[in-house]
Amino acid sequence: MLDGSYVGRYRSPMRRGETPSEIAVVDLRVCDRCGLCLPLCPPEAIHLNLSDLVVDRSTCTGCRKCIAPCPVGALTMVAA
Amino acid sequence: MRDTDVLVIGAGPAGAVAAQEAKRAAPTLDVVLLERDGAVGTPVRCAEGVGDAGLREFANPVGAPWVARKIRRVIFLAPDDSEVKVAERDVGWILDRTRFDAFLAERASADGVEVLVGTEAAGMNRLADGRWEVRLRGALGDESVRVRMVIGADGVEAMVGRWAGLDTRVPARDMESCAQYVLRGIDIDPDAIYLQFGRAIAPGGYAWVFPRAPGIANVGLGIVALKADGRNAREYLDDWIARRYPGAEQTGYTVGGVITHTTITQTYTDGVLVAGDAAHMINPLSGGGIVNAMKAGRLAGRAAAAAVCAADTSARRLSAYHAEWMRLLGDDHLKYYRIKQALEELDDDFFNSLARTVNAIPGDKRTLGRIFAHALVRHPQLIPVAAKFFL
Repeated sequence: MLDGSYVGRYRSPMRRGETPSEIAVVDLRVCDRCGLCLPLCPPEAIHLNLSDLVVDRSTCTGCRKCIAPCPVGALTMVAA
Repeated sequence: MRDTDVLVIGAGPAGAVAAQEAKRAAPTLDVVLLERDGAVGTPVRCAEGVGDAGLREFANPVGAPWVARKIRRVIFLAPDDSEVKVAERDVGWILDRTRFDAFLAERASADGVEVLVGTEAAGMNRLADGRWEVRLRGALGDESVRVRMVIGADGVEAMVGRWAGLDTRVPARDMESCAQYVLRGIDIDPDAIYLQFGRAIAPGGYAWVFPRAPGIANVGLGIVALKADGRNAREYLDDWIARRYPGAEQTGYTVGGVITHTTITQTYTDGVLVAGDAAHMINPLSGGGIVNAMKAGRLAGRAAAAAVCAADTSARRLSAYHAEWMRLLGDDHLKYYRIKQALEELDDDFFNSLARTVNAIPGDKRTLGRIFAHALVRHPQLIPVAAKFFL
């Protein structure tokens, strides 16, 4: 895979087949594209795509580690 | 598909210095410096303060167009607002990062580095011959480039390290969430930086005033969200400014993360080096990263050029870069990190009383050594903090 493969380094808190009840979403009207949340994400589910923040729904585990540190409050949890 | 010898991703201080040093070390190599944004030096996500000695290793700030202000004093503000002046000498400079970063990139370009702006790296994978194929996206469309050495200088949001399989994640307790305004019309000493600590002001971090000109300053703060009361960094800053500088005109505004961790455990792999914020090469006590980034960039650029010239870009060879960085500054950062952790145990009352102790020393005798000695005698809580430095 061209975008690199780094799944496997992170041990998910969920059992196989289990899915999170909530996942993180970004409000791009509020997000400043500072990138602070990227290294905070244990499964590396957040990346920037042409400077816009993207949260990968399939790898977000709903751990909330990105929510409070956002300096502008652009990340929130929604039902998965 | 085009080929290049050294591709540096990110044209901040780490990347620009890395590219220039690689080209200088081996002028026959093709060195490309990549910048995602449309211009080098924007947007600025920085308080722009830098120490005098470290800066002078790379450029002479006297009269330079990329300097905003010379700093002669540091004024600490205790949580109860009492002021402590601690230094009266050539402390440092407030940069104009837009111009400074452009200056560094232009200098690299003048030495023969190809600077590509408005182009982002979108991913990379290793080829059978040991080179990396890096996919680029930019104004001119998509293309791929085959590279012998990749230097990841892509900042807090670092992707190069991830793609190369390095662990660049940060524990939440070591991430400072920062917000900053440029304020106009404020009453400050234009030759001093101000730093204020306090649980209610900036939990886990500090608030700063870095003057750009008389009456104009970068005014910001950093907090550790885990220690916050539910407000985000911008809300803490708005409350602090409302109290200290009511009625000031807000012009610029920025937010960002400062990683107050220690250097990642591995900064290299086959054909890849990471430098600067991307490798968490930041003083974890002060949050200062500019000089650290330039020093790391210098090591990375030279190591990359030498590796290409020797036709050996193996992780085994490149591990010397990591060792060199740790000797130069990485090991010091580990000490600062331990001091940071020890200071986190002290409360606002301690800092208020420390300010009174220091202010009892006459101003002309207030050297850092004397402050340290007085503080240790009067405040035994500091002994375990000091001890961390020697561990």
